[in-house]
Amino acid sequence: MNTTGSVSFELRNHLSELATLCEKMERVGQALNLSRRCLFEMNLALDELFTNIISYGFQDQSEHFIRVHISADHDVLTVVLEDDGIAFNPVERIPPEIPCTVDECKVGGLGIHLVKNLMDEIVYERRAGTNVLTLKKTIEKS
Amino acid sequence: MDIVEVKQSGVSTFKLQGRLDSNTSQSFEKRLLDAISDGTKNVIIDFKELDYISSAGLRVILKATKTLKRQDGKIMLCSMQDYVKEVFEIAGFDSFLPIVPSLEDAFKAF
Repeated sequence: MNTTGSVSFELRNHLSELATLCEKMERVGQALNLSRRCLFEMNLALDELFTNIISYGFQDQSEHFIRVHISADHDVLTVVLEDDGIAFNPVERIPPEIPCTVDECKVGGLGIHLVKNLMDEIVYERRAGTNVLTLKKTIEKS
Repeated sequence: MDIVEVKQSGVSTFKLQGRLDSNTSQSFEKRLLDAISDGTKNVIIDFKELDYISSAGLRVILKATKTLKRQDGKIMLCSMQDYVKEVFEIAGFDSFLPIVPSLEDAFKAF
């Protein structure tokens, strides 16, 4: 993968695949010379979305695959996540209130809140029984 | 993830190494809550060697903070990488959790 290349892979709906996701992102980070912060933010956003999909997306016990397509166009990185789980639009999720005290703080919706803050653009589509989430982020090089 | 627990002058310090994510958060939660239920009231979480945290990790810190508050205990977080600190800020956790630059600063709070 170079500054205008792309890479695709699939992850099984299992938490252990977080390690695979991390490895793949490390390689993308090296190929594009991403800064540690930028790689961390990409990793975090994909981790939160992947964890959400496998935790809430599937109502059967079968194995499912989540497809990840990453492409670079000079200074913009685009990630497309596709899964065949139940329809879920994270863009519509109401953000949690930012807490002032520990008692006010609730954990729900925190992952999606992080994703929205870390990415420049998020577009959700439901296409023929598939959730398609497109994320864009401006690349910060090291 | 590796966790090193050090007890010194009535303060338990948990030094985290590696990644705190959905895979590792459960074992950390158990270590931390077990220590609190065994009577630990003063806790420092040292993030110096922690490369990664997700919302699963934030939830453990929140749960421990709430538990300690009920028992008149205290938690301090220290030595975060700037991008780890940013996650606490986006989540709004920095408004109620003390985050200090070094382990030495964290000890001074007790």
